[in-house]
Amino acid sequence: MILFIRNIFDNIKLGLNTLIVNPLRSFLASLGVMVGISIVILMGWVLEGLDNSVSKTFEIIGVDMLYVTKWDWTGNTNWKFLRSRKNITLDQTEMMKLMHNSAEYVIPNVNTWGKPVYYDGFKFDGFTVVGTSYQNAYTPAGETLEGRYFTQFEDEQAAQVVTIGYNIYKQLFPEGNATGKFIKIGKHKYEVIGVVKKRGTFIFDFIDNQIFIPLNSLSQNFGISRRSLDIGIKAGSKEKLDQVRTETIGLMRTIRDLKPNEKDDFSINETKAFEENIKKIRYTVWGVGIGLTLLSFIVGVIGIMNIMLVSVSERTKEIGLRKALGAKKGAIRFQFLVESSVLTLMGAGFSIIGCLGIINIALIIVKKYFPDFSDVATFFPPFLSPQLVIVASVVSVVVGILSGLIPAIKASSLDPVEALRSE
Amino acid sequence: MSNSVIDIKSIKKVYKMGQEEVHALREVSLNIQQNEYVALMGPSGSGKSTLMNILGCLDTPSSGNYFFRGKDVSKLKDNKLAEIRNREIGFVFQTFNLLARSSSLKNVELPLVYSGLKKKERDEKAKNKLTEVGLGDRLDHKPNELSGGQRQRVAIARALVTNPSIILADEPTGNLDSKTGVEIMKLFNDLWKNGNTIILVTHEEEIAQHAKRIIRLKDGLIETDEINSNPIIYN
Ligand SMILES: Nc1ncnc2c1ncn2[C@@H]1O[C@H](COP(=O)(O)OP(=O)(O)OP(=O)(O)O)[C@@H](O)[C@H]1O
Ligand SMILES: [Mg+2]
Repeated sequence: MILFIRNIFDNIKLGLNTLIVNPLRSFLASLGVMVGISIVILMGWVLEGLDNSVSKTFEIIGVDMLYVTKWDWTGNTNWKFLRSRKNITLDQTEMMKLMHNSAEYVIPNVNTWGKPVYYDGFKFDGFTVVGTSYQNAYTPAGETLEGRYFTQFEDEQAAQVVTIGYNIYKQLFPEGNATGKFIKIGKHKYEVIGVVKKRGTFIFDFIDNQIFIPLNSLSQNFGISRRSLDIGIKAGSKEKLDQVRTETIGLMRTIRDLKPNEKDDFSINETKAFEENIKKIRYTVWGVGIGLTLLSFIVGVIGIMNIMLVSVSERTKEIGLRKALGAKKGAIRFQFLVESSVLTLMGAGFSIIGCLGIINIALIIVKKYFPDFSDVATFFPPFLSPQLVIVASVVSVVVGILSGLIPAIKASSLDPVEALRSE
Repeated sequence: MSNSVIDIKSIKKVYKMGQEEVHALREVSLNIQQNEYVALMGPSGSGKSTLMNILGCLDTPSSGNYFFRGKDVSKLKDNKLAEIRNREIGFVFQTFNLLARSSSLKNVELPLVYSGLKKKERDEKAKNKLTEVGLGDRLDHKPNELSGGQRQRVAIARALVTNPSIILADEPTGNLDSKTGVEIMKLFNDLWKNGNTIILVTHEEEIAQHAKRIIRLKDGLIETDEINSNPIIYN
């Protein structure tokens, strides 16, 4: 073993020699492996980017938040069943707020769509007007870029004040300074008192289309009797989530008079629910990636194996000589395994460079043609993480060893006399 | 007996070629002592190379026993044989068999690589041996930058670098002109004087006359085994 390690550099040099003697042949033979490694790298890069965006998305929603809703955010797609559920009313929300012990805040939310917004003589569409309580300021939606959230007093008085999301701010006030200006929602006049920091990402852009007004004001001006409320519940910490969830479900069942044998007629949504979906995406990416990778590695292994078999037969005499001089079978096997690994490692090197190129070109294209998604680069970095580079190298060496195995065994079991006699 | 390097008893070597059996060695017994200088002669196909391969532990006999320095090596496994070749035997081939892309130094180092020596030690030993064979100034030359005689010297340095018990040379002058051949024979003469044991195969009478003992093979049998009463010796 010590002997092997001591000789590894000699063997690597030998391997490089073989490579250099016929670079085109080596390149062609490693093509399959290069494609395989590239898929591994790109797949890893996409998954890492996905993870980054997902954890950012979870931050947006709030990792310590639960949302009690009539509709289900994820998973349950049985629309008819969901529709048959009774609405969550304001009274129920108030009761929840009074009775909840473990939660930090219980915050009602009503989302309304399709309300036009007017400013400076222009009409704007596509925003969500959210009626909520002043405590929404303590959720991830509460961080302001300028101005402030409405106060408890304004909340109770149904004041005509509004804190706007980042996209509204950008569209209505491209020059900045929104605070103090007046906008109209429908036919009602509202004073802008604050702007929420940009929260959205390229996959969660719509979150910045929200306009927050006091729930009482929404109720007065637009009416909420036919709407189902969402109850946002802030646990205060991730650790408290389980306790808060249990209490929430219990309270909700009591409030909605459910019998012990009845199923919950509401959904509890939290970032955890998304994790399941994300897992599915991950598995899909993996599945497709692994399939393609395996396919190209099979092609790749055959390619490398071939060139190594050629190398063995071209160098039969050399192998005979090495054996005559005292090389044991292991040493010969090792030599050829190192050689095939050098070949695949070089392939990995090319793949890494190639993938860097692909990634950067892709990012440039996204930036240029999809400016809305320009923050992609903050989650999908224009470089490869060290883990990815290590994984690619390890995979390439494993593939190298796999494809070198048969040629190496063939070389090591050559008869020295026969081998020496060959020309 | 204690000084016997090679002691073979009734060895046979049979090659099977389909139905046919080729008796390359019919029954050969032979004892070679330390510091002997032996020439193996005989017509083509008489079994010289076959015998050399067995003596060099490159091959094993079909039957019979081979005691190398008292140890029976006729039934050893490949890796054990490789160890013996590495430590005890120095080969010199007719076609030199140097690694074409490696320097003289690298070529001479090769057996030491397989003995597991450190780079520094390898370098030193290889350098010494190359200097001994008169190539101290050709360390970094590749084989194609050397003459035939020089190549064979590199090969001899490679055979000597592990300080083997015996040097086996199969037609070492076969690819050289007669003048260069004589120079190589002078080198063998020096090695013998320094206490080395040498067996060389040749079909040239002139070359064989350098040895102190001449064994003639015919049809896989030893025909004659005589002391050379008047060997060529250089001073
Ligand atoms: N691998 C083999 N398979 C079959 N027959 C073989 C093999 N090796 C040698 N022989 C046969 O054994 C006999 C002896 O061969 P060997 O090579 O020992 O002769 P040699 O004396 O070295 O001849 P030369 O002077 O031509 O080198 C020959 O008849 C040869 O054909
Ligand atoms: Mg021969």
